[in-house]
Amino acid sequence: MAAIISADGVDKTFRQLKRQSGLAGGLRSLFSRTYTEIRAVSDITFAIEPGEAVGYLGPNGAGKSTMIKMMTGILTPSAGALSVLGREPHTNRMRNAREIGVVFGQRSQLWWDLPVRDSFALNRHIYDIPEARFADNLAFLTEMLDMGAYLDRPVRQLSLGQRMRAEIALALLHDPKIIFLDEPTIGLDVVAKDAVRKFLARVNRERGTTIILTTHDLVDIEEICPRLIMVDDGKLLFDGELTRLRADLGSRRRLTLEFATDPGPLPLATATLSRDEGAAKHYLLEDEAISLIDVLNEVGRGHGLKDVKLEEPDIEEVIRTFYQNKSRLAGAAS
Amino acid sequence: MRAGAYPAFALTAFQSRLAYRNQVWASAFGELVISFAFIAIWTAAFAGQVVVDGATLPEMITYVMIAGLLYWNTDRLINDVGEAVRTGDITIFLLKPLSYPASLLATHFGHYVFDQLVVTLPVLLIVGFSVGLLPPASLFHALMALPFWALSWLMLFTLGALCGLLAFWLLTAFALEWFLKGIMALASGAIVPLWFMPGWLSGILGYLPFAWVSYYPTAIYLGKLDPPATFLYFGIGLAWLAALGGFLAWLWSRARHRLIVQGG
Amino acid sequence: MLHNITLIPHLVRMYVRTRMEYRGAMFLAWLSQGFSYGAMYATIALIIARFDNLGGWQWPDMALLLAFHLLAYSLGASLSFTQFRDIEEKVRLGTFDAILVKPVGPWTFLVFSGLNIGYGGHVILATGLMAWSLTQVGLAWSPLLVLYFVAALISAAMLTAALMTMIGTTALVWVRSRHLFSIFFGFWELARYPLNIFPAPLQMLMITLAPLAFLAFVPVAVILGKPVPLLGAWAPLASLAAGPLCMLLAVFHWRWCLRNYQGAGG
Ligand SMILES: Nc1ncnc2c1ncn2[C@@H]1O[C@H](COP(=O)(O)OP(=O)(O)OP(=O)(O)O)[C@@H](O)[C@H]1O
Ligand SMILES: [Mg+2]
Repeated sequence: MAAIISADGVDKTFRQLKRQSGLAGGLRSLFSRTYTEIRAVSDITFAIEPGEAVGYLGPNGAGKSTMIKMMTGILTPSAGALSVLGREPHTNRMRNAREIGVVFGQRSQLWWDLPVRDSFALNRHIYDIPEARFADNLAFLTEMLDMGAYLDRPVRQLSLGQRMRAEIALALLHDPKIIFLDEPTIGLDVVAKDAVRKFLARVNRERGTTIILTTHDLVDIEEICPRLIMVDDGKLLFDGELTRLRADLGSRRRLTLEFATDPGPLPLATATLSRDEGAAKHYLLEDEAISLIDVLNEVGRGHGLKDVKLEEPDIEEVIRTFYQNKSRLAGAAS
Repeated sequence: MRAGAYPAFALTAFQSRLAYRNQVWASAFGELVISFAFIAIWTAAFAGQVVVDGATLPEMITYVMIAGLLYWNTDRLINDVGEAVRTGDITIFLLKPLSYPASLLATHFGHYVFDQLVVTLPVLLIVGFSVGLLPPASLFHALMALPFWALSWLMLFTLGALCGLLAFWLLTAFALEWFLKGIMALASGAIVPLWFMPGWLSGILGYLPFAWVSYYPTAIYLGKLDPPATFLYFGIGLAWLAALGGFLAWLWSRARHRLIVQGG
Repeated sequence: MLHNITLIPHLVRMYVRTRMEYRGAMFLAWLSQGFSYGAMYATIALIIARFDNLGGWQWPDMALLLAFHLLAYSLGASLSFTQFRDIEEKVRLGTFDAILVKPVGPWTFLVFSGLNIGYGGHVILATGLMAWSLTQVGLAWSPLLVLYFVAALISAAMLTAALMTMIGTTALVWVRSRHLFSIFFGFWELARYPLNIFPAPLQMLMITLAPLAFLAFVPVAVILGKPVPLLGAWAPLASLAAGPLCMLLAVFHWRWCLRNYQGAGG
């Protein structure tokens, strides 16, 4: 299948004004100013197939929002080729707009003083959604996102979680082929985050809507996006399955052995002891090839082993290791 | 309460304005254009006559320049207070060991100095060198113009702050800003001095506080009032300022009370 | 294009309903602005009362000039002022980005989703003053004059909207544009006086770079049969062309700025 989004060596450079500090600097800036160039996105290449759900991850200022703005046609790339739905997004912004949905986590597209329903109704006209289709979608979204209770309340009275669900519904009313979400879960509590994640995963699964979302929250990616694109400082660091990221990094599974009584020090060849609490001992399994059986064989009988717990590494840890390795590499290089 | 914090407010306000370089140039340019326009308007009005109601054209040109300088734009002040009320940011000030009105005074003093120094002064210099401005009528009038100037700004500040605070009850500072603008256009004497108005009107406006913003300071500068009258009107102006200041303090205490009791 | 036009009533309805949520504040604003302009005009009337005329314009002539100035301005500004003044903020907050991802012309969306009904006070004052002054100046009405009057008013309103569009749109590229509005309002204020009283360079400026002479002075002078400096016999034609020409320029400027839009960080 042809890619629905493809980026080929995309670059974006901004010019930023250098602010001068102090009274003297301020006075000087009345007459002259200096600029710095910021390369917000540099040489990004990827391709996304229809129906994929992709998490776009990176620290603050990594260039995530900038990339979303280019894919939605708001900004023009400084270099490289970008294609969304087979078209160049910037030159075909309005045409693409009909087939995509965009949610900006930090800014609202709803009419602040009017009931939620009114914003939805306006979108029906903006996107020319057929009456019946609109009614169906509204019913489905209201049901799924549990918006029934506040559809007739002015947006300014809604909680952030309620508003965010309304924003997402607004972006999906016209059955977009792709939905872009820039930090959709920012500021939401655990329950609201969970509702949003479950819903997006379901939309992706059942309707086949392609999802691109940026986030700082790794759980978003774990629950919605099988695929992860990681960026830092504008550059692509990793692109692939989440599980592959684990494998690439060597999955450091965590093993806990619990004994009836403290068996004393128990060093193993198959696992590294990370913490010793006497009767409970924690190990890390560095090597993918080593199985639980191998470890248990090494421990052997006679220590009064009571319980065994093996945990897959959580994604936070994977990413943390990833960044640590990267900075270590960068440190070594410089 | 640390009094040392207040000059810092003024300095911060002054510095913050420097960041908006285009705004500075544009304001100075706009001010210059308007100044030349008002000079043109009075020149056209005099149409060759030498003295009208005891005032000459050069006097009128000096009058519009100085009265215009004194007629400082209170929009920023009213907006600041109005916004603080609307967004509830004003409650933050109740938590600080600072007086909100005093910090407001310091901040806008910073803005005032900025506007006069960076925007108005260059315009005065340009007009002074190209068209010519009259010096003060006498040493006495020159010395008295200074306290009148201070009174003028304090009066403006008090009026602006009052309008801003009224937003507590009217929920909109916008309309108040426009009411004040309208009153000031007519009653401050910034555009037409009271001596050109019909007697009944100047009789009324001459005793309203707005005339102390532009009319009296400029009239003193031009020597239109003799020494006894100068002191008398300074006294009346002070009384007005005290009355309005008292009203402001009372409004603020009501507003504070409301904030504390109702939580904003 | 057709899609944009059919959308207009819906956008306007949304905005009007938003304003009606705060109708008390809006009517108060009408009142205060009407009062404020009234007071300003009173000061001009005071000058003329004392000096008989201003550059050959007596009070009824001046009243017509002021009324035309205010009416043309408020008609044009309702389509443009707050909308384009706030572009700066919309860019900073990213709400302008949200407009760009809709399948609607961003100009249509911006203008009509903010069609300002706050100019009620202006319009009432302006039409009242205009009606009174027209009874005083004794015009020899003819169909041609009526046609010119209406067309000149529309052209002047277009001029206002076009200039505001150009100024506000600049924020898409230069981030800030407020300062340009203060320059606009400087000239706008001059535009309510007879052009002939100003020094020649200022007159020149006001029919070229800052063409606000066309907002009121030129058309009203033509209507009253008064001489127009610099333009002379070309005045009627020029006043009709000024609005559409500026509009055309505004369209190009808007497109250029949109192409070079950089957004804001975050
Ligand atoms: N319009 C702009 N003008 C100048 N610089 C910009 C602009 N937009 C973004 N930048 C800069 O580009 C870089 C990337 O910004 P971007 O908003 O894409 O980051 P992000 O990954 O979305 O960060 P965050 O997680 O904080 O949202 C930053 O250094 C930012 O300062
Ligand atoms: Mg971002």
